Amino acid sequence: MVESVTVIIKRQKNKDEMSYLEKFEYDGDLNIPIITLLEKINNQDEIKNIEGNIVEPIKFSCSCLQGLCGDCGILINGLPKLACTTFLIDEIGESGNEILLEPFPKFTVIADLVVDKEEMYESLKLLNQWIESDAKVNLDNIQTEYEMSLCLMCGCCLVACPNYSSGDLFKGVPVAINSLKFISQEKDKKHSKELKNNYNHHFYSGCTKSLLCEDVCPMEIPIQRSISKMNRLSVWKLWQLISKI
Amino acid sequence: MKNILIIGSGIAGLTAAIKVCEGGGNVVLASPAHSERSQSVMAMGGINASLNTKGENDSTHDHFKDTINGGKGINNEKAVKKLTSNALNVVKWLGDIGVSFTRDENGNIDLRNFGGQKHKRTAYASARTGKQIVSSLTALCRKKEAEDSLKYIKPWRFLSLIITNDECIGAILFNENTNEIKAFEADSVIVATGGMNKLFGKTSGSTHNDGYVTAKLLEQGVELANLEMIQYHPTTIETPIKRLLITEAARGEGGRLYVIKDGKPWYFMEEWYPEFGALMPRDVVSQSIYKVCNDLDLGIDGKNQVYLDISHLPDEFIMSKLDEVYKTCIRYLNLNPCNEPIPVYPGVHYFMGGIKTDENHKTNIKGLFAAGECSCQYHGANRLGGNSLLGAVNGGWIAAEYALNHESNNQFEDNLINNVLNEEKEKFDIWSKKDISSNSVPLFKIEENLASIMNNSLSIYRNEKDLNNSYDELCNMEKIAIKADSRNDYYSYIRLPSLILLAKAMVLAALNRKESRGSHQRVEYPDLDDENFKKTTSLIFKDDNIEVSFK
Repeated sequence: MVESVTVIIKRQKNKDEMSYLEKFEYDGDLNIPIITLLEKINNQDEIKNIEGNIVEPIKFSCSCLQGLCGDCGILINGLPKLACTTFLIDEIGESGNEILLEPFPKFTVIADLVVDKEEMYESLKLLNQWIESDAKVNLDNIQTEYEMSLCLMCGCCLVACPNYSSGDLFKGVPVAINSLKFISQEKDKKHSKELKNNYNHHFYSGCTKSLLCEDVCPMEIPIQRSISKMNRLSVWKLWQLISKI
Repeated sequence: MKNILIIGSGIAGLTAAIKVCEGGGNVVLASPAHSERSQSVMAMGGINASLNTKGENDSTHDHFKDTINGGKGINNEKAVKKLTSNALNVVKWLGDIGVSFTRDENGNIDLRNFGGQKHKRTAYASARTGKQIVSSLTALCRKKEAEDSLKYIKPWRFLSLIITNDECIGAILFNENTNEIKAFEADSVIVATGGMNKLFGKTSGSTHNDGYVTAKLLEQGVELANLEMIQYHPTTIETPIKRLLITEAARGEGGRLYVIKDGKPWYFMEEWYPEFGALMPRDVVSQSIYKVCNDLDLGIDGKNQVYLDISHLPDEFIMSKLDEVYKTCIRYLNLNPCNEPIPVYPGVHYFMGGIKTDENHKTNIKGLFAAGECSCQYHGANRLGGNSLLGAVNGGWIAAEYALNHESNNQFEDNLINNVLNEEKEKFDIWSKKDISSNSVPLFKIEENLASIMNNSLSIYRNEKDLNNSYDELCNMEKIAIKADSRNDYYSYIRLPSLILLAKAMVLAALNRKESRGSHQRVEYPDLDDENFKKTTSLIFKDDNIEVSFK
């Protein structure tokens, strides 16, 4: 199916400049991922916006082009998605053949659709998200550990989360799911306790359980299930102990 | 304390970083993106180790033999010895650091069948072995970062090595966000930058692995090897985004290849190779698919495609062990592989050739080491599935040990590093002030042309005429490239001339190997020629000339 689509892109030259919306006309196959659409706009002899002015190529990130690396997360019509697994045809339905592409909010824009996700990684480092001992192997836990390791660090969950904002005490889902995996594998009791404490302070106390994170997770990680498990391990256990005293 | 600079943060780079820290060294790990974006996460199938838990009498010796046979005898035997005997330790270590391998009913790490190997030898973590390994390695690196023995810097691109008196003493890197250019001095440098994908446009791998580092190293006097050995993965699918891989595990778990002959499915691999069937080494499967489509004209719907069928496997089995195959087919082909066969054809997947190293991952330049897909030692003329993850971990591990042991008595002038840095900065200044003439060609067009030349002349079967033409076209392209309009992208501007040089070296390697071996099939020379070519193709850039020899 070939139709004409107006592609609206929120652009920004660098982190210090103001952002603006720029429109492009696209005529071509609609059954293509958004990344392919961006490539098609860029790979022309002259890149012209809808007013016919020649403009610079659109900056975006990508790596695997098949939904395995999380590099290409952007807002597509307002929702956080991976641009390589989202198809144009599914996005222009009722909006009158328009599509809006924006960089993730809550992160610093580097240029156009590229943002700096360093803060996510810093949180994991700050909250000691690793194991100190050799990994414990418990056959019943392997599937869960595997699912927690599927996280792409794409940031979709943080964008959708009503509780997360940059620089806050609440660090969002990546901390919760990593904690679950590492507590499940850790033999060092002291570090296990540290992970639980960090979870309480930096996740449990800030999460209002909207669970929008699970709706937008491109890997379909069972987040709700993992949070319940983490709460059982780190919050309720403590509470029970305290109530006994 | 030794300072080691590691370029690239996929599985080889991460492993090297951890092992340097464990050995008491300090690491700067530089990469254009976080490890989650590396090509390593795309490795699905598994990692080979003769764990011998299936009662099949497997041994490291059998693993060694299969690897050499798969590589048609031009692997570095000493390196393969170490690879296959270390494999057991590598997989044990990965388990210890928390990789969630799939386990069998006895609690052992489960093993599956992979191509070119009769024993069950491929350990795996459901459908995403690479991702699971990266996940555990990054956690460990995080810990090393918190302990201050590792500094992980992004997004830094490699520009060039700092070499003096034939010894590497660091590298110049470029920050793509800020345009900053900086010198990083080091006691030794480990390069772990992946394959040469960009030469072919898009391959099954990551767009980050463009081959620039390999290309620049060639330009700077580093010896490359076996560049003509390019693995075409037998089963890739055509989609609007690129040719996507369908993992070998699909065949390892029972998938069959067929075309329609006389109105009936013809399982050509099973007829031609009754012993291994569709699980012959990848080079043989790809060549067979080529023959079925081109020589016998039996491609499905008259196109270059055959069917890969997994629909006879139970749905639950596909959903758990091959879920990525299911997702990819549904998403990009709107096809349910539980009910229908998948149309596939070979596509460029892996580069056996690259930066030549010895069994200790040393290059021909002192203080410079290479590991992972960018390096060449283990795989010879064809890599076995499951040996790349193994090669990456083992290579990073060994490179770290030898990088730590490297002793330099190089005396260089204090201002040497500054001089090299200033040269790179001047290049950038000249570029940024350059006027783009109105008739200059957009750079992406030259890159597209480069990819089309390479795909055409270095396809599954190669011939002298196409290779010669390609070489001439590449020589012409060099002249256009320096005038290209890079549209404010410095990195792609400096990358292009180096990639063209690398492409020329690859074509020369293919022209000079006048025989057919593994993934290198020459139409004019269809046979193996052990006497002249059971050797490594060596490529050195000297006095503006690429020298090809066989060693």
